Amino acid sequence: MSFNKMTKGIFASISATALVAGITLVGAAAPANAATPTTGGTLYYYSHQEQWAAMDPSLMYTGRDMVWASAHIFRNLTSFKPAPGKAGTTLIPDLATNTGVPSNKAKTWKFTLRPGVTWEDGSAITCADLKYGMSRNFAQELFEGGPYYAVSWLDIPEEDDGSSAYKGPYVKTGQAAYDKAVTCSADNRTITYNLKRSVPDFNYFTTYPASGPIKKSADTGEAYGMKPLSSGPYKIDKYEINGTMELSRNTKWKKSSDPIRTPYPDKITVRFGLSEDVRDEISMKDTQKNGVNLDGLQLNNNITFFTNQNAVDKARSINTDDPFTGYLAANTSPGHLDCVQVRKAVFFAYPTAEIIKANGGTKFYGTPGDNPVKPSMGIDYIKTKGNIHDPNYKIEGNPTYAKKLLEEAKTACPEAYDRATNPEKGLKYYRADTSGNKTMAVIVEEALKKAGFVIETVYKPSGTYNTELKNYKKETDFLGSGWASDWPNASTVLPELLGEGCCNYTFNKTTKEYPAFKKILDKALVELDRNKQAKLWQQASQYAMDQYWYIFTVFNKSQEVWGSKVGGVFYWDLGSLAFGNMYVKK
Amino acid sequence: MVRYVGKRLFYTLLLMLFVSLTVYFIFDLLPSDPARLGCVKGCPDSTVELNRIKLGLDVPVIEQWWRFILGLFQGRSYGTGDATFSCPAPALGYSWNRHACVTDVIKETFPVTLSLALGALFMWLALGVSLGILAARKKGKWQDKASTVFVLVGTSLPTFITGIMVVLFIVLQFNVVDPLEIGIWHSPFTDPVGWLQTFFFPCATLALAYAATYTRFTRSNVIEISQEDYIRTARAKGLSEKVILRKHTLRAAIAPIVTMAGMDFAALFGGAVITESIFSLNGLGKLSIKAVTETFDLPIIVATTLIASSFVVIMNLLVDIAYAYIDPRVRTK
Amino acid sequence: MSNFLEVQNLSVSFPTHDGLVKASNDVSFNVALGETLAIVGESGSGKSVSNLAVMGLHNPNSTVISGQAFLNLESGPIDVISAPAESVRKLRGKEMAMIFQDPMSALHPFYTVGDQIAEAWLLHNDGKKTDAIARATEMLNLVGIPDAHKRVNEFPHQFSGGMRQRVMIAMALVNNPSLLIADEPTTALDVTVQAQILQLLGKLQKELNMAIILITHDLGVVAEVADRVAVMYGGRIVEEGKVDDIFYNSAHPYTRGLLNSIPRVDKVGSHRLHAIPGQPPSLIALPKGCSFAARCEYKRFTQGSICNESVPALTVGTNGHSARCHLTPAQVVQHSLEIGTGA
Repeated sequence: MSFNKMTKGIFASISATALVAGITLVGAAAPANAATPTTGGTLYYYSHQEQWAAMDPSLMYTGRDMVWASAHIFRNLTSFKPAPGKAGTTLIPDLATNTGVPSNKAKTWKFTLRPGVTWEDGSAITCADLKYGMSRNFAQELFEGGPYYAVSWLDIPEEDDGSSAYKGPYVKTGQAAYDKAVTCSADNRTITYNLKRSVPDFNYFTTYPASGPIKKSADTGEAYGMKPLSSGPYKIDKYEINGTMELSRNTKWKKSSDPIRTPYPDKITVRFGLSEDVRDEISMKDTQKNGVNLDGLQLNNNITFFTNQNAVDKARSINTDDPFTGYLAANTSPGHLDCVQVRKAVFFAYPTAEIIKANGGTKFYGTPGDNPVKPSMGIDYIKTKGNIHDPNYKIEGNPTYAKKLLEEAKTACPEAYDRATNPEKGLKYYRADTSGNKTMAVIVEEALKKAGFVIETVYKPSGTYNTELKNYKKETDFLGSGWASDWPNASTVLPELLGEGCCNYTFNKTTKEYPAFKKILDKALVELDRNKQAKLWQQASQYAMDQYWYIFTVFNKSQEVWGSKVGGVFYWDLGSLAFGNMYVKK
Repeated sequence: MVRYVGKRLFYTLLLMLFVSLTVYFIFDLLPSDPARLGCVKGCPDSTVELNRIKLGLDVPVIEQWWRFILGLFQGRSYGTGDATFSCPAPALGYSWNRHACVTDVIKETFPVTLSLALGALFMWLALGVSLGILAARKKGKWQDKASTVFVLVGTSLPTFITGIMVVLFIVLQFNVVDPLEIGIWHSPFTDPVGWLQTFFFPCATLALAYAATYTRFTRSNVIEISQEDYIRTARAKGLSEKVILRKHTLRAAIAPIVTMAGMDFAALFGGAVITESIFSLNGLGKLSIKAVTETFDLPIIVATTLIASSFVVIMNLLVDIAYAYIDPRVRTK
Repeated sequence: MSNFLEVQNLSVSFPTHDGLVKASNDVSFNVALGETLAIVGESGSGKSVSNLAVMGLHNPNSTVISGQAFLNLESGPIDVISAPAESVRKLRGKEMAMIFQDPMSALHPFYTVGDQIAEAWLLHNDGKKTDAIARATEMLNLVGIPDAHKRVNEFPHQFSGGMRQRVMIAMALVNNPSLLIADEPTTALDVTVQAQILQLLGKLQKELNMAIILITHDLGVVAEVADRVAVMYGGRIVEEGKVDDIFYNSAHPYTRGLLNSIPRVDKVGSHRLHAIPGQPPSLIALPKGCSFAARCEYKRFTQGSICNESVPALTVGTNGHSARCHLTPAQVVQHSLEIGTGA
């Protein structure tokens, strides 16, 4: 199972009503350890990567990076409550006075800035800064690759090739159109966003640094991400790729303007570029007691470390559900797996147990999933009927039952049946030619052959696999991928994976079942009642599972380790450790 | 001599031009498309085009190369409208991955690799040559046998094994440096202790493999030269064995060692990838590997290739000059 | 003339895996100042080995040496065989010097000839480098190298073979040694150069009053320059005497055989070169009796198998002419006529 480039991230379960109107949720952060946090000291982070995936707000799209940045340097209009469990997915105001005021069926959104919010240089954060920050997303010649929501949603006309008429603040073409879509009040404190369509979860996008303020005079363009201006409790003193990033307190940040953040450490240092073995050794042996491993461990080290742990190690590590789902999409277009009975047969023949085992087992890798949406998404999730809950389902695969289903397919869709069982035709699975993939290919081929399928794995060079994907996806019968929602709403899952979004590898648009499915999606996307919306997402999920558009789904897990002198650590269901909460124990 | 060096340098420049052109052509032939790399959400073709323009890949290869050459003298500008920025001459390009002018990236990574290479060179010469001489002098005795064991072990242990063992069981185990300080650059001029802490073990690891080869080579060289007629003449003159070894034997044995060492040294500029990775050093080797296999960062690839090849060429020249200094028979042209 | 070097019962052996190689066996000879002793023999006869032992140039770990070799210095005689290595080393290059066969490889290619000669001088004299180079230039002049002051700064590869040998001689003689051992100094040179070198040696001998041991296998050279000759075979001296005695009155079958095998211009008609049949003996497994017996044409004139039974002693005759043969010198001369290979 191969994962596409994972730059999405975060956010699991929901606490219902935060979506609509402005209830400021009060409540101190409740860390897992009940001890009193101590102020002071230096907190360390360390990683194998050479740098953050991006530190330029307009480019940031990795969940972990956004949580980290938001905790320390980038305040946004809204944020999430720093708490473990479901509470941690509650939307709360950050720079804004409330979680946004929608109007016009959520086609217009208004936010007002709190008093006393400042930059690290002491100047006030204004609506102009918010407007400028949002406009920067349109400079696609520099910031392509970042979140695309601003470009998709703001009410600005499109050109014929699909790109926006507004080309960003550096080139300024179409600036008038942008200035109409995003306006500031006379006192420069209230911002209004006009959207192309109803977007009930727009105020989730405003948790993103891409939507946050940027001071125009401080904008250095391409290299801004190496030394951005901070609005949070820390400022950046130094950032060297493959070296360190060093933060010290931002003396201009006022606690009175920020009920969310608890900056306990005096200094924060991030070390990049460690070799993986060194990083793991430091984590496992607790050599850096006030340091946090940003990446986790390599698989074999995971197994060593998490097996038979002593009390100390147990207290400084966690093995938990993360926001990611893995899945194997079936190509439902004509000439491929365009018959639901055949797909169902593949589903029941699939060697789920062995595949999970090959990736680290249910303890570390994940458990079989019954929904494209994860349970940690809260109300949008439902335990679907059928698929893994079907009495005939066996986790190691049920070739007998699969054979029976295949027989039914013979009469229901003889062409598809022939393609799947004729030795001269057969199913094709395009994979990158890594050794891991080869191991799994053998497992899959054997299991499917037992059920009577003819299947061949077509190996493609791994170096170019990602760039050639646009061709492969049309030819292969199966494509593995992974996903995590951008925030706790299935609007960032179902339309993207199974609708008209970016990453639908099922080609289900070609099926006759698709229009009904699409109708549900479209209705849910503009449903303002959150509970009603959740029910619609549940309906769509069941529908998708019934069609067996996914042959296999796995709810992934992740493991984290930190030093024994780091306190206040808990796992934020957004999808990473709660960075802003940590302190250095005495 | 001056004319000779001048001529060689001129040819070196020509060669560098040719190498840079070749890199551009090879890169152009690669099947993967760097313009598509950053695309996550399956970007529209217009964005891919913008990306292509940003990376400078929208013009023919020859023009790409020519822009590079011009940049060396004039500097280069990037970006559009208000976001234009430039890299001053000598501009080797801009790395979008590292958000820095390539020249600056090289300025950062070059001293690291230089430290590693020089330190290792010094160590393996000191250890390898002296051990080889000892083994030759005590041929057949226990010192010689012990050196054979050392040679066997040193040449059969690959650096990624010795490196990992050194890092885990020495550096981390004994807290030689703060664990998060591993591989951090300290200038040898302002912080010599820090520099030593960072480089001692990587240099030693790298040197180990070479030292073994040089021990074996020096030993056989010294033994061979000791049989030469002119050594017998020196002895007949009444010189002591110590003086014979130092002035006559070693002087002759050194020449091929100098050649070998020069070429081995040159190869470390971009070649010490494993050592740099294991010891978390921000060097040219790690830089070039990442650029080639992950980020397809063409400007970085061009720069590191040029540096690596020019080092080889320059070291070739230096070695030739050194050899001519040592062995006068090579001189008169 | 008093003897400068007196070698007595010198034996040099090399222990090897295959056995003890007796390279030279009970060798005795003398040489006086102003005198040239030629030591003649085939390869493996022990001529170089014995003289290297005198110079102390054998590897002490792999050589067994017995006997004595006295250098009669002004300060008194010293036995270089039993003396400590360090004392012998001090004598090398000062009292005794040696030059070798192949001048191409005998000089260090990386140092100038001036430096190499100067090094020899500085070893035994106090002085600065400039003094040494001056002395080196002097020596180069002495050995007949033109433009000595320029050539003193040149490297060996810039000299021809003959010139290099002159340089070797200059280097050997820079400290005025009393003894010069020349091991086949002209073998690697062509005939005209050979003559020049021999001439030079002769001249220098007169000027410096040194004893010269000339090791060679070339009887023509011997005839030119030697005062006395020692013939070696199978590690032993088989004949010794004044040069005329050896050439015209040889008392040993081997020497006669050697002399007969020289091609003669004055011989009438064509006849084949007379070679000595057979091979020299193995030095590991020397025969019990005379080592030349297997190839000796005179053996039939002896009593029974005495030649195979016992090694003949070196009997001294008139004029210091000695021979190692069971036949008397007179008998040898007589039988030579019978064999028809007259002198």
